[in-house]
Amino acid sequence: MRALFGVLLSLPLSMMLMGLAAAWVPVPWNSWLVLQLIIGMLLWMSLSLLVALPEKAWPPLVGLLVANGIVWATLQTTGIYGGAA
Amino acid sequence: MKADRLRRFIDLHAWLGMVSGLALFVAFFAGAINVFHHELHHWQESHHGHEQAAGPADPDHFLQQLISRFPASADRMYFLPDEDPGAMWFQPGEDGAPGEWRTAHASNFAEDGSFTQQPGSELADFVNELHYELGIPGNGGLINIGMTLMGFVAVLYGVALFSGLIIHWPKIRKELFALKHQGNLRRYWKNLHNLIGIISFPFHLIMSVTGAAMGLFTVMAIVLGLLVFGPQLQGVIQKETDVWPPVQSQGETLAMAPMADYLAAANNELPGMDVGWVEIRGYGDAAGWMDVAGSQPGFLGHHVHVVLDNTMKPLRISAPGERTFNFAAISPVYSLHFGDYGGVWVKLLYFAMGLLGSLLFVSGNVLWCERRSDRVGPSRSSAFLLRLTLGLCFGVVSGIAFSFLVSKLLPYTPWAALVASAERQIFWWVLVVLVLWSLRASPLRFSGLWLRIMPFLYLAIPVAQVAVEGSHAWQEPDALLVNLVVVAVAACLWGVRAQFRKRLRLAEPHPLWVGKVTRDHPKHLTETELENQGAS
Repeated sequence: MRALFGVLLSLPLSMMLMGLAAAWVPVPWNSWLVLQLIIGMLLWMSLSLLVALPEKAWPPLVGLLVANGIVWATLQTTGIYGGAA
Repeated sequence: MKADRLRRFIDLHAWLGMVSGLALFVAFFAGAINVFHHELHHWQESHHGHEQAAGPADPDHFLQQLISRFPASADRMYFLPDEDPGAMWFQPGEDGAPGEWRTAHASNFAEDGSFTQQPGSELADFVNELHYELGIPGNGGLINIGMTLMGFVAVLYGVALFSGLIIHWPKIRKELFALKHQGNLRRYWKNLHNLIGIISFPFHLIMSVTGAAMGLFTVMAIVLGLLVFGPQLQGVIQKETDVWPPVQSQGETLAMAPMADYLAAANNELPGMDVGWVEIRGYGDAAGWMDVAGSQPGFLGHHVHVVLDNTMKPLRISAPGERTFNFAAISPVYSLHFGDYGGVWVKLLYFAMGLLGSLLFVSGNVLWCERRSDRVGPSRSSAFLLRLTLGLCFGVVSGIAFSFLVSKLLPYTPWAALVASAERQIFWWVLVVLVLWSLRASPLRFSGLWLRIMPFLYLAIPVAQVAVEGSHAWQEPDALLVNLVVVAVAACLWGVRAQFRKRLRLAEPHPLWVGKVTRDHPKHLTETELENQGAS
C-alpha cells in the first residue's frame, strides 16, 4: 500500500520539480518540453522507489506530501504558471 | 545494505511485479509479435477470390475517386503509397452520430467509381491493441483508458526494475552464471528470472520509460498544465509537436500535381528518404499542404518530415540534424520502443527480448506465489494467483494462435464476412475458458497439457496458410517472415515445455503446484535473505 501512495504522491512532485527546472534553465521552457516529460518520468520512478527506504511507512509518505507543498510554493515564486512561452 | 532494508526492497519489487506482471505479460507477448506489425498486415491479406492486378494502381486516379465518394477525406487524410494505394481518414457521422476513422484502397473502387469494401482481417490491428491497451476499446474521449492503464503499469514496471537492480547489483556477476538445475523448482525459476532480468535490463528500462511516456503523455500533460504551466500548455504542445499548423482555407481551389511529383519533390529536399505515408491537408485547396513522412535510414531518431504546400514549395523539413529539440527528443522514444531503426536483425532482437520478457513476468509471479506460500504457510491467495497466472498466460498465448488461424482460414468459408470480429471473439473465448479451467485444475497437470498443445497451435499457422494459399506462404517475403516468426514461437514454447519436464524429472515440484500445501510445510528464506542472515 505504501508503494501505491508513493507512486501517486511522486507524480505531482516530479512534474513540479521539472517545472522548477524549466524555470531555472535559461532556455525557453517550450523548446525542451518532450525532454521534461521523459526526465519527469524517470524522476517519478526514482521517487517512488524511495518509499522502500525507511522502516515505517508514514515518514516517506509524509515527506512526499510536504515536499509537494514546498515545491508548489516555490513554483509560485517563479513566473512560469501562465507565463508566455 | 541492511537485511531489513533489503527485504523491503524485495517486498516492493515483488509487490509491484505481481500487480503489473500479468498486464506486462500480455503487452510483451503481443508486443513481440507486433514488432512485425507491418509484415503482419501483408500476411493477413486473404488471396481468396482476388484476381492478380495487372500492375500498380494509379494513385491520382484513386485520390480522385476517393474524394468524389468521400469528400471529407480531402480535408485530412493519410495516404499510403503502395502498389494498391490506400488512405485513412476521419469520416464524420451523419445526423449527429459519432464519426469514425476509415480506410480504403484503390482496389475497392471499380472503373465506374463504385465503391465496395469486403470485410477483411484486422489481425495486425488486434495484436497491436492487445499490446498497447490490453484490447480495452478506447472511448474516443480525452483519455484512452486501456492505454493510460498500460502507462501506469509501465511506471510500476520501471520502479520494479530499479528495485530489482538494487537487490541484485551486489551479486550480479555471480547470478549471471547461476542457472542451476539442482534443488527444487523454485530455485530454477528464481535463477531463470534473475538471469533474464540481468541480461535484458537495458531493454526493459527502454520499454518502461518509452512505454510510460507514450501511455501517460496525456495524463502528464494534464498534471503539468494544472500545476506548472497553466492552461496555455495544450496549445504549446500542439504547436511543438505538429509539423505544420492546420489549414486556414480561403475557399480558393488549385489543380493538384500528380502524387509522384510531390514524392519526387520531397526526395529532392531530402535525398535518400524512405517514404512511409503522406498526410494530406486540404487536397485541392490553395492553402493546403502535404507532409511527406518517412524515415532516413542510418539514424536512431530516423523519422523525417518534408512539408510541401500544394504547389510543391517546401514549407518545412524535419530530419536528423535539422529539426527542433522537441522533435529530436520524441523520435528516439518511438524508434527505441518499436525497434524499427536497424532493419530486420534489430527487429528479431526485439522479438527475442519480448519473448524473454514474457518469461520474466511469468517466473516473477510464480516466484512470488511460492515464496509467499513458503513464508506464511498455505494461502488461498498464493494458490489463486498461481492458477490465474497460468490460465491467463496460456490463454493469451493460445488465444493469439487461434486468432491467427481464424484470420487465415475463415475467409475461405461462407463466414468470410465475419473474420474481423471472429478473430477477436475467439481470443477472448479461449482466454476465458483457459482461465476458468486453470482455476479448477491442478496447476501441474494444466501446465503439462497446455505446454504440449501450444507449440502445435503455432505450428498449425503456417501449415494452414500453405493449405489454403499455397506458395504465397513462402514466396512473399513478409508472409515468409511472419511464418518463420510463428515457428520460432512454437520452438520457444517447445523449449519451455522441455525445461518444465526436465524439472519434473529432477526434482519434486513445489507443493503449491499439486495443491498439497499444509500447515506443516517448512518455511523458506530466499538466498539473499539466507546470505544476509549468515553475514549478520
